[in-house]
Parts: sequence; structure tokens; C-alpha cells
Amino acid sequence: MIALVSHKGMNRAEDPDGTIADVLIVGAGPAGGMAAKHLVAAGLSVVCLEQGDWESSDRLPTGRPEGELMARQRWHWSPNQREREADYPIDESESDVGITMYNAVGGSTWLWGAHWHRLTPSDFAVRSLDGVADDWPITYAELEPFYEEAELAMGVSGLSGDPAYPAPHRHPLPPFPIGKAGRKAAEGMNRLGWHWWPGSNGIPSRPHGHLAACVRLGVCSKGCPEGAKAVADKAYWIDATASGARLITGARVREITTDSAGLATGAIWIDRSGEEHHQRARVVILCANGIGTARLLLLSKSARFPDGLANSSGLVGRNFMPHPISVAVGVFDEQLESWIGPGGIAIYSMQFYETDRLRGFVRGAKWSLSTGGGPLSIHPGLGRASLERGWGAAAHQKMRRLGHSLSWAICGETLPDPENRITLHDELSDCDGVPSVKVHFRVGENDRALRDWHIERARESLVAAGAVETLSIPVLPNSGGHMLGTARMGNDPATSVTDRWGRTHDVPNLYIFDGSLFVTSGGVNPTATICALAARGARHLIAARRDQKVAA
Amino acid sequence: MNWFKEDDRAVIRALADILIPDAEGMPSASAAGAADELLDRVVQLRADLAPRVLAAVRFARGKDHRAALEELRTHDSETWQGFCLAIAGGYYLFDDVRALLGYTGPERRPVDPEAAPDFTDLLAPVLARGPIWRAPRTTGEAP
Ligand SMILES: Cc1cc2nc3c(=O)[nH]c(=O)nc-3n(C[C@H](O)[C@H](O)[C@H](O)COP(=O)(O)OP(=O)(O)OC[C@H]3O[C@@H](n4cnc5c(N)ncnc54)[C@H](O)[C@@H]3O)c2cc1C
Repeated sequence: MIALVSHKGMNRAEDPDGTIADVLIVGAGPAGGMAAKHLVAAGLSVVCLEQGDWESSDRLPTGRPEGELMARQRWHWSPNQREREADYPIDESESDVGITMYNAVGGSTWLWGAHWHRLTPSDFAVRSLDGVADDWPITYAELEPFYEEAELAMGVSGLSGDPAYPAPHRHPLPPFPIGKAGRKAAEGMNRLGWHWWPGSNGIPSRPHGHLAACVRLGVCSKGCPEGAKAVADKAYWIDATASGARLITGARVREITTDSAGLATGAIWIDRSGEEHHQRARVVILCANGIGTARLLLLSKSARFPDGLANSSGLVGRNFMPHPISVAVGVFDEQLESWIGPGGIAIYSMQFYETDRLRGFVRGAKWSLSTGGGPLSIHPGLGRASLERGWGAAAHQKMRRLGHSLSWAICGETLPDPENRITLHDELSDCDGVPSVKVHFRVGENDRALRDWHIERARESLVAAGAVETLSIPVLPNSGGHMLGTARMGNDPATSVTDRWGRTHDVPNLYIFDGSLFVTSGGVNPTATICALAARGARHLIAARRDQKVAA
Repeated sequence: MNWFKEDDRAVIRALADILIPDAEGMPSASAAGAADELLDRVVQLRADLAPRVLAAVRFARGKDHRAALEELRTHDSETWQGFCLAIAGGYYLFDDVRALLGYTGPERRPVDPEAAPDFTDLLAPVLARGPIWRAPRTTGEAP
């Protein structure tokens, strides 16, 4: 075994052409970007393999009047609808929620809503506090400096000092105005004495690094044409590649390779002409998200790892926690211009985030007041309504709600259940013939009770704000965009896939730095924590590199 | 490319006006041009919708139009959804329709860095209630 010293310090005789990367990263989303940024800064040679390409925000139609019409196609949230070469199909026939992601340099942040939330201290101790699921092997306090780092990298705008978090809770950029819609919702919350806070968004309110300042088009989750939302290409990859990281696009990884000692040696990948390559590396880091990473581990079977790589616990792919989003809508007499951005969030509430057993369930949810979208987003006939209710005069009446409605998007904690899982598909494959995945996900009893209770409270808050009508959507179709839990971290190799640093228990030079690591999902959007975990893992890898085992 | 012949247009107008009639102070789909120039704009942007509009026309021609739409909705969701999106997509591009709804669409509204926050007055009670986070017993962290 030799140590990872950096390419400059390596023995040249071993690698005369310099073809062995110190570190191979799979996936160029925010997790991979954060890792790459740290590793190149430490002088390590980094290669990243990304199945998608560089995209340009100029191509996005969303700022134009026809943006809504166009948004449903090439930039659809569901890879099954887009069917681009970079995508892989996902069998959702046994899932209660549709899966969303984007595959490109920047990853799913091309389409993310940029709601930026840290987990809270209690999220790391769910078993100790509430007797369910498991505790994380790390605490909020350990992650806190990495949250701050990620907030700077992602240009987070928000108001510091939220009492739902321990102090200091700071944001690098000033908050956005909350607008008429935010004020209306806040008034309702104040009448009930409930917590709310101005939105924290991964969207800069002022120019920040490669990111432009937001102009509040309100189209964030359909793709920001301004280049203002923190997409990971701008937040990380432009600088990481300028500093020497080698990012190979159109590169679909189909297997992580290992040697006879069971150490990772690199990855086999397929280029867009169908040719296979082997990228050798001393350390491999998977940042392909909670579905892509599980898929790759399960694909990387060998005599030594018959159930897939790093899967001696049998937990790879299990405990998938996608956070199906629920929505409570209030309709108001007055025009609230609720299409104005950032969208993003105007305000959020953590009032019912922590457990209260009297409610009949444990854990909680965060509510985000999101933009309402344009006419096609709210048209009843383009949903599932009948001809009578969805069209005709009835539709005209309902379309008067445009801008008159407030929507709370409720992100409730999904508790881990080993039966909720990602498996390799027997028949379905991507355009390179690599087996794809099936998602098995059912909303559990606790999650359902939590969801129903929160929807009712959210409706109450809208009534308190003056809503003349409220409605709800228990599960927003295609809202499964949080890929969590499929290779969880822990101290015990029997009950976890990686250690507290994201290093797999079974393969000491194979790491995971994405949402797969989550032990529990929390009730907030995960990207803040994903970026913080990647930063913390990368820093540790660098600090401990002299002791790092690598293949001979 | 001209996808639709005049007799296709006649069916499209009739079907579209069932979906979007002249009612509640709003113009019908055909009056807004959603079966004509706006439909042409829609299929220019979304060529994938044109065959679905034509499929709806073929299906509905010579039938009771309302019954045909109902049947499409229940039995051929792809054609139904494509047709509906093409019509509504064009209709809500019409400036007069947008104006009647008071909808301005995505507009550039840069944030004024000098402007005072618009929420300070409302936030006082939230701050007065103090911390609401829960400390994990294991670490001794406390609000
Ligand atoms: C519609 C939508 C809205 C969202 N809104 C929010 C939000 O408001 N707030 C929030 O916190 N989070 C949100 N998310 C989630 C957020 O986007 C993800 O948490 C984040 O992008 C995860 O980062 P990642 O780097 O781990 O994975 P991703 O960003 O998914 O990137 C993974 C990358 O790996 C690549 N990859 C995968 N497999 C392979 C392979 N075999 N070979 C080569 N490359 C591969 C993919 O192409 C992809 O580019 C949203 C997601 C979606 C889809």
C-alpha cells in the first residue's frame, strides 16, 4: 500500500504518463464541485467524469413569454420525459412520487428551487430524541463551519439570526424583499403566533463570483436564464477546472474497478461514441446523487463484492428518502403578484419542525412560500380535472386566481425504511446499455400522518391571512428531487455504508460525498447539507492523505 | 411549415372554444387566435404538439365535439394533453388575455440594495418569542 501524497509527490516510475489521477470524482453536481474545489486547491490531480455536458443559461426559454410552454420539454424535471442521452430512465411504477433530477455539469442544481436550509441540531439525533430511525455519527456543531463555507460558495441570500437555529446563523448576502405575497402570509402567521422567517435562497441578491444578481423573474426551478441562481457549474466548476481539475463530459461511468486487495483502482466509462475507457485513480469519490451513486455501487459487482461494491451491510440503495412535497394553497381576493421571484422562497416557517408527540407522529416539516408560476402552472384543465371543472367558464373563474394565491410547499421528514429502495433494473437501460434503476418508495404511516397534519395547519395559516378558499395537494407529482439515504454514514459497518467522513467501510479508498450519506432526511431541502458534507469529507481526505490507502 | 389545412382549423376552433369559451369576461380561444396565429406560434416552438393537435382533429371530425373531447380525455391522454396544452399555451400568450388577468409574466425587477427591508415591522413578534430549536441531549447544546 502506498499513501496519497499528490501527483507532484508521486513516484514517477509508477505512473510515467501521469494517467493515474490522485482523485476521480463521478458526477459534476454541487457535491462533486465542492470536493473538486478543495482537492485541486490542495495540489491533488483531479479528474471528474460527468455523463452530461456543459449547459448554458442562454439556452433557457424561461424569461420569455413562451417560457412556460417550453419548460415542459427539454428542461422537464423528469429524466423520463426529457430522454436526453445524458439521462437514464427511472422505473417509477412502484413509487408514490415521481423522481426529478438533471444530468449535466452543475447536476440537478440546473432545476433546483434554491431553497437553502441547514438541518437543525435535533436532526442529527433522531434516535436519541424520538426513538425512531438512527442518530447521525456527526453533530450540527461539527458541520456548522462547512455550512458557512457552502453558503459563501453558493451565494446564499437571507436574513441572519433565525431563532429556529442556534446562533450564529448568518448568511453572506442580504435577503430579498418578501413582497406582497410574503407579507400576506407573514401576517397570517403572526395572527397565530407562529414562526416565519424571510426566505434563504441559493440565489445572490447582489453579483457574487460568477453568479449574476437575481432580477426576480420567479422562474428558478424551471431554469434561471439570468445565470443568477447558484448552479454548480458557476458556483464550483468554472473555478475548479481553471485551477486544474480535468472535467470529462459525456462520460458515463458504468463500473468502479477494484484490485485483488479490494481497493478501488478507477472507473470504466463510455464516451458518446460508445467507446469504453478506464480512468485510473488512487481515490474514487462518488457524487452521482442518491440514485446515481447507489446505481453505480450496485453495478460494480465482482467475485469479491458479489452484492455490489461497499455493500457488505446490504444497505446500498436502501432507506431512500425522497421528501415528497405537499402543497397548501390559499386564494385571496386581492392581487398578490405571487409570480414575482425569487422562486426560491419569499418566507418559510419552522414552527412545527420539532417533534410534539401529541400530534400523533414524530418529527416535522418546514414550509416554504413559493412563487405561484404563470397561467399554465395553475390551469386546472392541464392537471387532471374533468372537462366540466377544468375547462369552460369554470376554468376562467379559477384562472382569476393567478397571482391571487399563496402556496406553502411542505417538506416533511421522510423516515428511513429499508424497503424504500433503489434496485438495478432487469430490463431498463440507458442509451449506452447500462442497466438503469427501479425506485421502490411508499409513503410510510408516520410520514402520512405528518403530512396530513401539516397540510391542515398550513391551511389554517392561510385562512388566518385572509384566504377566501384553500385547497391542498397531498403529494406534488414529480416532487421527488431529494435523493437521500441510499449509502448512509455511521460508525458501525454492519449498519452503515460509510464512516463519518464518507469513506466506505469496505473499500478504504472509495468515498461518497452526496445525499446518499444522509442517515435521516430531516424536514428541509438537502443541498446545504450535501455541500457541507462534501466540504467536510474533502478536507478530511486532504488532511489524512498521508495515511490514505491506495491501490499498489 | 403549415401543419393545418383550413378544414382542420374549423375543427380546432370548435374544439378550442369548448375548452375556452367566451365567458366570465374572457374572450374565447378562437377569438384570441388560439386556433390560428397563436397555434402556429405554439407549434413553431413545440413541433411535438402539432401531430397531437392533428390527431385530436382526426378523432373529432364528424363527431359531437364535446363528446369527442370527453372521450379523448378518458381514453387517449397523450392526444388530449397535447391538444389542451397547444390551445391553452397559445391563449395565454395573447397580450389581451394576460392584461385581463393582470398577469405581467416574468419581468426583470432588480433588487435595490439601498432599499429598506419590507419585513422588519412584521418580524418583531417572531424575534420576541426567542429560539425554537431543540437541543439534542447527547451533545449538551441548548437554546
Ligand atoms: C426540480 C428540483 C428542485 C429542487 N429544489 C431544491 C431546493 O429548492 N433546495 C435544495 O436544497 N435542493 C433542491 N433540489 C435538490 C438538489 O438539486 C440536489 O440536492 C443537489 O443537486 C444534489 O447535488 P449532487 O451533486 O449530490 O447531485 P446532482 O446535482 O444530482 O449531480 C449528480 C451528477 O452526477 C452525474 N452522474 C450520475 N451518474 C453518473 C454516471 N454513471 N456517470 C457519470 N456521471 C453521472 C449526473 O449526470 C449529475 O450531473 C431540487 C432538485 C430538483 C430536481
